[in-house]
Amino acid sequence: MPAVSIGAAANTLRFVPQSNLANFDPIWGTQYVVRNASALVWDTLYGVDDKLQPQRQMVASEDVSADGLTWTFQLRDGLRFHDGEPVLARDVVASLKRWCARDSMGLMIRALSAEIGAVDDRRFRWVLRKPFPKLLFALAKTTTPCAFIMPERIAATDPFKQISEYVGSGPMRFVRDEWDPGARAVFERSAGYVPRQEPPSWLAGGKQMLVDRIEWIVMSEPATAAAALQNGEVDWWESPISDLVPLLRSKSDLVVDIADPLGRVGSFRMNHLHPPFNDVRARRAVLMAMSQDDYMRAAVGNDERLWKPMASFFTPGSPLYTEEGGEILKAPRDVDAAKRLLADSNYCGEPVTCLVAQDQPEVKAMGEITADLLKRLGMNVDYAAVDWGTVGARRAQKAPPAQGGWNMFHTYHGGDDCTTPANYIALRANGDGAWFGWPDSPAVETEIAHWFDAKTLEEQRVVAGRLNRAAFDDVVFAPTGFFLAYQAWRKTISGVAKGPLPFFWGVSKST
Amino acid sequence: MSAASTPAPGIAAAPVASETQQPKSGLSRIVHRYPPLALGATLLAVLMAIAALAPLLGTVDPSVPSPINRTLPPSASFWFGTDMLGRDLYSRVIYGARVSLTVGLSVALLASLFGSIIGFVSGSVRWSDAFIMRVMDGLMAIPPVLLAIAFMTLTRASIANVILAIAIAETPSVARLVRATVLSLREQPYIDAAIVAGTPPAMIIWRHLLPNAVAPIAVQATYICAAAMIIEAVLSFIGAGIPSVIPSWGNIMADGRALWQVKPYIIFFPALFLSVTVLSVNLLGDGLRDALDPRATGTL
Amino acid sequence: MIVYVLGRIAATIPVMAVVGLVVFSLLYVLPGDPAALIAGDQANPEAIAHIRHGLGLDRPFLLRLTEWFWQILHGDLGTSIFTNLPVSTMIGQRLGPTLSLLAVTFVFAVIVAIPIGVVAAWRAGSWIDRAVMALNVIGFSVPAFILGYLLAYVFALQLGWFPVQGYTPLDQGFWSWLGHLVLPAVALGSLQIALIARVTRAAMLDILQQDYVRAARAKGLPESTILFVHVLKNASVPIATVVASGIAVLIGGAVVTETVFAIPGIGRLTVDAILRRDYPTIQGVVLLGSFACILINLLVDLLYPLLDPRIRR
Repeated sequence: MPAVSIGAAANTLRFVPQSNLANFDPIWGTQYVVRNASALVWDTLYGVDDKLQPQRQMVASEDVSADGLTWTFQLRDGLRFHDGEPVLARDVVASLKRWCARDSMGLMIRALSAEIGAVDDRRFRWVLRKPFPKLLFALAKTTTPCAFIMPERIAATDPFKQISEYVGSGPMRFVRDEWDPGARAVFERSAGYVPRQEPPSWLAGGKQMLVDRIEWIVMSEPATAAAALQNGEVDWWESPISDLVPLLRSKSDLVVDIADPLGRVGSFRMNHLHPPFNDVRARRAVLMAMSQDDYMRAAVGNDERLWKPMASFFTPGSPLYTEEGGEILKAPRDVDAAKRLLADSNYCGEPVTCLVAQDQPEVKAMGEITADLLKRLGMNVDYAAVDWGTVGARRAQKAPPAQGGWNMFHTYHGGDDCTTPANYIALRANGDGAWFGWPDSPAVETEIAHWFDAKTLEEQRVVAGRLNRAAFDDVVFAPTGFFLAYQAWRKTISGVAKGPLPFFWGVSKST
Repeated sequence: MSAASTPAPGIAAAPVASETQQPKSGLSRIVHRYPPLALGATLLAVLMAIAALAPLLGTVDPSVPSPINRTLPPSASFWFGTDMLGRDLYSRVIYGARVSLTVGLSVALLASLFGSIIGFVSGSVRWSDAFIMRVMDGLMAIPPVLLAIAFMTLTRASIANVILAIAIAETPSVARLVRATVLSLREQPYIDAAIVAGTPPAMIIWRHLLPNAVAPIAVQATYICAAAMIIEAVLSFIGAGIPSVIPSWGNIMADGRALWQVKPYIIFFPALFLSVTVLSVNLLGDGLRDALDPRATGTL
Repeated sequence: MIVYVLGRIAATIPVMAVVGLVVFSLLYVLPGDPAALIAGDQANPEAIAHIRHGLGLDRPFLLRLTEWFWQILHGDLGTSIFTNLPVSTMIGQRLGPTLSLLAVTFVFAVIVAIPIGVVAAWRAGSWIDRAVMALNVIGFSVPAFILGYLLAYVFALQLGWFPVQGYTPLDQGFWSWLGHLVLPAVALGSLQIALIARVTRAAMLDILQQDYVRAARAKGLPESTILFVHVLKNASVPIATVVASGIAVLIGGAVVTETVFAIPGIGRLTVDAILRRDYPTIQGVVLLGSFACILINLLVDLLYPLLDPRIRR
């Protein structure tokens, strides 16, 4: 391994990511941490700013025909890949095709797409059969997978297989031979990258790199990361656990602040296919008795700045947030009434299989609260302490719980995934085609369709209210609360911004 | 040969016991001669009593979460403080004694049983010896941690899986021990004589093998018990241990380890109890070894 | 003798084959689906099925098994499902840190444990003996991760003598390499030291009882000669046994130490691979690990006759 010179070491940013970076294909593998690393190495055509508005990034200008069906894009000057080749329209078209195969908005666009192709080296055209007003948002969004632009030969890889080359278009190069998956990933500044002139804001604006080298050091133990940060062995920790924050705050050489204002939405999902939760009364009984406060304290801690209850399926603080129809969560908790409702639903004591992943701390904490809640409701809890890998496989089984299925599992979503129905897979209620749990609610589906047709923000809000009510009536899933996370860094680092992913442009390190 | 008649010095030879009075009863004689045995046995008995009497010792239900009370320091209402879900740590530690002791004793029993049978077969049935020993080698190559994770992912994490995984991993050491005893016995002329005389194998085992093997097995079993309790903690650390709904010292420590710098009491109390228990089991083992058969030292 | 060694080595092959078969079958029935993990939270069943197909996981058992055996025979351990890197590369990357940790721990444990065991036996019953036993207690009864955090807090965070975590390879500087390994070695080695010291003491005591020791003393031999030349050598068989069996314990304990001190070793690789169901990696690591263990046992068995001429195979 090459030795790092003293000068370069001073300008190396050492970062502890939220989890292990095991692979590095942002279209094939959609974990958050893969997206975060990919944002350094690949660029996008558009990027959302901190108001969630799409802004041009690799595109210099775009043109849309009067009927909304033909989009023509012109790329910026001077765009190059890390191997020195210029970014051509062909590369963009191939990358978009691969992305469309895996992204839910991309799939919708592909279904409407008549043709997409290069016009010349720097222009490409996308012709649709029906207008899709949110096209730019789809290309700009932070939710995975993002529409990263790769060389054509790499983008030609089957979207269900991993790429094996990592030639990027973004501000940092991935240093492949220093990669130790599960331990370390190294990025170096790409000299040929030409950032935009505007100031950076999330994925928009000029991605000016102020450090030469970034090392991602994977630390699975929060206590070790905390000690390393205090000792100056790392510079920036993406997700310190909230219990350690007071300690970090007390150190004069550290800064702690909220990481992502869009936060996360905790949830548990009940299986609509099998008893007892195939009966909406049983699902409502659980919601009547559950306390989002308990869930949030358990998952995140007592610092009330970090969480709030939400009688909604939309991220608090986002434009579509509404509590319409959420009385079932806002009313005072009534375990007795819940028990009666449960009895009405003909619950006869059958075991309720709860899958609880032991290797995910927030999920594990929420699982224990649920087990206690269901016991208090008089249900027969079958607590399956497994790992996230087992949850991933078992939740996909539609078989009855006794034959390898399930009744309930816990998870959480990024707040940016729950701002609109656009990419909100967890909210869909189209039965067999829905996310795990397979809720079936025509009312919810109707409102989602209405939202896509809505033109103004006012219209969207009205639809969102009805959608929220329908989703609560049928209990598509149970939101357990909205929570934020912190990030922490040493005072030698400046320029750290809040956002749904860590943004490394504009971040500098003094010695 | 001579060692059988004189007990090994060890700690027992310390000039503590007064020589002026000869202790009369057998028990007091044991206590005076082998303090570690007495101390270890007493401590263990106390801990087992604590485990058995858990509901009567001022405890509450250890599995009920109360998030509003999370991570409180020790106080009059929560003697050892509370954990990250607001559960009373004192109750969890006391009830945890049940689980940790159960794991330790069960593993010791199972490993001794399996190991003895396997070791005996390997030592007496010559053609199987090489094969069995290589299998034991292979088994020793799989750390209990990996076995336990495999079991956990096969079904789910539970006490039974933890016990099974650790027992399987500890079996080879007992097997080797018993095998060595059997092999050394086979060289003895009186065994040959007994076989020639037509003594049934069961009688040979009962009369000759067992008396010689019991001591080392018993000693090894105590060490296995202690190791098992530690391994249980390690399994909880990895995430393949007993689910926290059932408290064990291992999972209390594992759950609280991220907070050791800010809330050390979460780890401190279960660590203390675990250390004392492991200490007492080790003392018991050392004492047994000194008292029963000093020649058993060193053979594993 | 040579025949015996060759015979033992040849015997490892069928054992390895069995180990391989067992591991492969175990993984086959293990629930959990790497494709589901890869597809991520937003995926639908079709995407997961596609990925499974892309990984070749939907092919029949016997086909996958024979293909894997064929690969092994050609020295190819396969490719990791998650990283798309060859398993041998991944193991190679992690071998250095783990071997370094194990080596330093082993040397440290042996250098500390045998002398204190000897001294404790020599002065049996005295305060030295008790002090050694007391220290042993700590090694036995405090789990390695607790000890690790304690050491990191006192010696790294407060005193600043060592780093809190991490690993630097030997070729980047000896002292940096060693400095990163001291605290982990102490944490990992404490149990080893306790085990070895105990057995050393017990074996020495046993031998110190023997008539020939009394005879040697009567002859006027210096105590140190008696201790180290006669007694220790005779006690070496049980000591070697416990040292060898300790290696397996070390390998298991390394996982914890690697996690606490963020050392990029094989222990953590294996646990991660299992939790992700990265089958090729799991298979490769377990196979190599059992091979190593079998080899070590073989070496120790070969060592016995050298230590004690009475033992003959």
